[in-house]
Amino acid sequence: MFARSCSVLCCVMALSACGDGQNDFGRPQGKRAQPVQLVLLEDGRPAPEVLAEEQVVYRGNGEEPETLDPHLAQGVPATRILRDLFEGLTAESAAGDLVPGAALRWNISRDARTYTFYLRRDLVWSNGDPLRADDFVYGLQRAIDPETNSSAARTLLPILNAREVLAGELPVEELGISLLDEFTMQITLTGPTPYFLGLLASPVAFPVHKGNVEALGDQFSKPGNLISNGAFVLTEWTPRVSIVLEKNPRYRQAETTLIERVVYTPTEDRAAEVKQFRSGALDWTNEVPNNQFKWLQANYPDELVTSPWMGSYFLGFNLTQEPFIDNPSLRMALILSVDRQIITEKVTQFGEKPSFALVPPGIDGYVPFSPEYADWAQEERDHEARRLYEQAGYSEENPLRVEIRYNTSDNNKKIALAVASMWKQALGVNATLVNEEFRVFLQNREQKLVTQVFSAGWISDYNDPYSFLEMFRTGHGRNDYGYSNETFDALLDEVGTERVRARRERLMFEAERVLMSDHVIIPIFTYVTKRLVNPHLKGWQNNVMDHHPTQTMFKLKSSEMSSAEKNP
Amino acid sequence: MKQAGVFRHAAVRLLGLIPTLLVLITIAFFLIRIAPGGPFDAEKVLPPEIRANLDANYHLDEPLLQQYFRYLGQIVTGDFGPSFQYKDWTVNELIARGFPVSATIGGLAMALAFVLGTLIGTFAALKQNSVIDYSVMGVAMLGISIPNFVVAPLLILGTAVYAGWLPAGGWDWSWQRMVLPVVTLALPVVAYIARLTRGSMIEVLHSNYIRTARAKGLPERQVIRRHAFKPAILPVISYMGPATAALITGSVVIERIYSIPGLGSYFVQGALNRDYTLVLGVVIFYGIVIVVLNFIVDLLYAWLNPRIRYDEAQ
Amino acid sequence: MNKPVLRVQDLAVTFTSYTGNLFQRRQRQLRAVDGINFELNPGETLGIVGESGSGKSTLARAILGLIAPGRGRVMWNGEELTGLDEEALRQKRKELQIVFQDPVASLDPRMTAGDIIAEPLWTFYPNMERLQVEERTRGMMKVVGLLPNQINRYPHEFSGGQCQRIGIARSLVLNPKLLICDEPVSALDVSIQAQIINLLKDLQNKLGLALIFIAHDLSVVRHISDRVMVMYMGQAMEVSDKTKLYRRPLHPYTNALMKSVPVPDPKLAAAARQDSWLTGDMPSPYRRPKGCIFHNRCPFRVKRCEADIPALRRMEDGDWVACHRAEELDLSIQVAASG
Repeated sequence: MFARSCSVLCCVMALSACGDGQNDFGRPQGKRAQPVQLVLLEDGRPAPEVLAEEQVVYRGNGEEPETLDPHLAQGVPATRILRDLFEGLTAESAAGDLVPGAALRWNISRDARTYTFYLRRDLVWSNGDPLRADDFVYGLQRAIDPETNSSAARTLLPILNAREVLAGELPVEELGISLLDEFTMQITLTGPTPYFLGLLASPVAFPVHKGNVEALGDQFSKPGNLISNGAFVLTEWTPRVSIVLEKNPRYRQAETTLIERVVYTPTEDRAAEVKQFRSGALDWTNEVPNNQFKWLQANYPDELVTSPWMGSYFLGFNLTQEPFIDNPSLRMALILSVDRQIITEKVTQFGEKPSFALVPPGIDGYVPFSPEYADWAQEERDHEARRLYEQAGYSEENPLRVEIRYNTSDNNKKIALAVASMWKQALGVNATLVNEEFRVFLQNREQKLVTQVFSAGWISDYNDPYSFLEMFRTGHGRNDYGYSNETFDALLDEVGTERVRARRERLMFEAERVLMSDHVIIPIFTYVTKRLVNPHLKGWQNNVMDHHPTQTMFKLKSSEMSSAEKNP
Repeated sequence: MKQAGVFRHAAVRLLGLIPTLLVLITIAFFLIRIAPGGPFDAEKVLPPEIRANLDANYHLDEPLLQQYFRYLGQIVTGDFGPSFQYKDWTVNELIARGFPVSATIGGLAMALAFVLGTLIGTFAALKQNSVIDYSVMGVAMLGISIPNFVVAPLLILGTAVYAGWLPAGGWDWSWQRMVLPVVTLALPVVAYIARLTRGSMIEVLHSNYIRTARAKGLPERQVIRRHAFKPAILPVISYMGPATAALITGSVVIERIYSIPGLGSYFVQGALNRDYTLVLGVVIFYGIVIVVLNFIVDLLYAWLNPRIRYDEAQ
Repeated sequence: MNKPVLRVQDLAVTFTSYTGNLFQRRQRQLRAVDGINFELNPGETLGIVGESGSGKSTLARAILGLIAPGRGRVMWNGEELTGLDEEALRQKRKELQIVFQDPVASLDPRMTAGDIIAEPLWTFYPNMERLQVEERTRGMMKVVGLLPNQINRYPHEFSGGQCQRIGIARSLVLNPKLLICDEPVSALDVSIQAQIINLLKDLQNKLGLALIFIAHDLSVVRHISDRVMVMYMGQAMEVSDKTKLYRRPLHPYTNALMKSVPVPDPKLAAAARQDSWLTGDMPSPYRRPKGCIFHNRCPFRVKRCEADIPALRRMEDGDWVACHRAEELDLSIQVAASG
């Protein structure tokens, strides 16, 4: 009897072991043919003979989009689709560079507060109606109008009077947006905002068809109703099944748009998404599960794509409570004794880059601050950490007891465990782990009463280091650290008014340096995007914003070679 | 007369549903409000001006009791309101789209589990203590012990990734996409029903009236079909009420792994996002479904067991 | 004399049970019926009596083939039933029927009385018209003393006696030639018992049935039987003509059973009990005594009883007995003394 139940148990264990996808049998042989060699024409477009017959892309898209109203959408899945459906005054190239969109060109005033946009003359909506500057004015006004109830409107606050209009103190007409003529419009800002042009390429600044919105109300964003001005139009939306877009023949660049149809599939479960990709149902995954990263690296090297992303993962100190209030030595000791190399290479193992500061590298050309200890060996850091730890009044007999709080997730737990054991080993700290449901965790962070060390992270909305620095300002809604430094605040104020790019960058660098010298956070790593992409799919490029418009993509046909390879 | 009894019974049961639902709504309403955080709390904090607009728009700025009565007044008209999270859809629309999917998958899984489970159970009972019995029930035990989040990925790997017979997930109402989720959902239930059936079938086969049926000269198949089957599945029927409810209200695990747009994920997502209207709508809907299912099971039970027919219970 | 319709020869049923665990199985043999011989003439009633556990019911089922016998033969009108396959045996149910002990539990609670009685007709005459089936069913109900308008009632709506009438009706609906009644009244009230026994007796006369009537006490059998077989631990102790058996039992065990018959007068009952020498329980069927299986409870035992197995032998007057001392003992005196 014992023997029997034992073998059953072994069997179950073996099954569950391959269940998480790490130990299955490698990639199916001969399932995917190889693409032909890409041949480009002189104008940079792919030669017609290398293109696949069917230009349809299947993209995994994470969570179900919350809405396709461009002014209400905030989540990545929704905004990704909206960027395919609409086009703003400015647009982004495959590489993420800012390029003219609906506006052919623009002027920026000397004080960097007034932008004048000159629109293309031949623009039309997907229903054939002409698209003019007043459509953009209407769009921005609608986004900020309190009636619209848009959370995304927060990114439009740099526009003059936006805050007052949102608060209901001024009518929407008082916004700093004016129509100069049919094809010209002007936007006035409260201060210089270098990322503002980039902002105009995001959904909250997209135009909407006024007649359609007014006639259909909250139904205007449904398939069959939605009128858009981008490379694609919405043809189907079955919640949590798929969203299908088809090429918009009236789009100004319809001639060069090669993809005929895009199918966005919500992929809530990353492991399931990878299986769909492996079965050939997806060309593009939203993500890959962290625990399968190594396995995919070995088995799908041609498909797995990683690239730096504009996000950071770090732990924060609550500076308003014991033991960290007025205790920079202790904070520094804890920062120093975390071995980031081990965390990224041995613990998380999903391709992230160790980090010593707040802002990830590669954001709009900004080079992040790097503290002195970044170049030390870990032993040196540990040595210095012990000195500071003792200086703060702790020792082996009198160890620090501290809580690491995080929202429930495998990765947070792994990292917290690793950090706790590093502190234990280097300093003898007794750290305990506390995990909480996300919104409970957020509330505790905000109240700053029970938190000590907590997990944090930031993924930027726009391509500007300011987005990272901003939340450490005194009184900022996400300043869960209780950090307050006049010098830092003053530097940020200066950043807000500085027009010269190089000087502004230097101010931000200085602010980051101040922040890091105050030991407010424990930098751990900066994020990368990682996904599987069908090698047939080309025309996209890695970029730090992870924006990949379908418009520039195309599919190669399979090479004849592959069928010969299958039967050697 | 029998029908009148059933109808009256149904009417009484449905009336009894109203206070039950009211209690359910009240508890659910205040429970989700007690949970820390609200639908508009996110890592990216909203400027106060925007936050105030949103709260006013969804009446979150009113006293809680006032919101409660406003909600009651609204659902009396059958309107569960707009979803906080999925802004383009009302809760009614989401349920109307999600439930048919969950109910189809769950209903098919239950039907499959019932047919297979009772067949296997009966078969094992007839071959009691034979090698066949042991091996069939051993496999059934395995079916219970392996959780479906292990079975599902294996099935996908085998049938979709390697063999390419079936799609790896997704939904379009085609049978190909139903096969794997239905099978995955059904497996543990098959095993459970088989065990229940086997146990009660063995008991029934030892009962006196089965001996009588054999003495009458019925062929063995008739003995099982006409006399043993109904009493043997009585425990299965009472198990099926809650089990069917659990299946057709949607399994979050199955829905995620197979990317099925059922109701289960809405519930979990709604709770995590503090999507008050969606959670409450789904809870109330679940409540109705469960009461109705239990009622159907009661009717089935009565049909199978004349001793508790309602016309005599007067 | 008529040719016997039923001839039972050396019939034996052995049950095997398993004990121990998966690796060490132990087999145990239980001889429930151990070499029974008898004959039954048309229209005759044979009573079978014995304590519970003596193998009466097993014998009944073995005769009908509801249990496979381990040894011996059952001849029905010259045809050997024991060799028949399942289907052929099933066909014989038309001629051989049985009424069971627990009348309520023996009826399917999910069927109406009418369906229970009609079911054998559906099975053996699938082409019979519905009306005809119903007519026959109602007729049968009338015959056994049920009201035909009770045809749609369920068993739980009937009393125990009525249920047994349903059981009898369904056993007779196919016009069998042999009816085995396996303790048909032991679960019923005494007042009802007589009704049922009278009913069976009437029916036997009317239909010319051969009847085997099983009971655990002699008083029930007395009224209905022509001959009586007394069983003990699967073996026949005595097979005697009814009148002779009740006047002068040949076997000490029969005598003991007579004494255990309930006596209405409490004084006499006390005396009977005092006088009763049927002490101790039946030995475990797994440990059968050597020699005469009854010897350890028998007041008349001699040395020989412990060593030699007494064969069932024919006495001069045609009765059968399995006792070494049948000739020397005069048990009638004992009965007189106690009665």
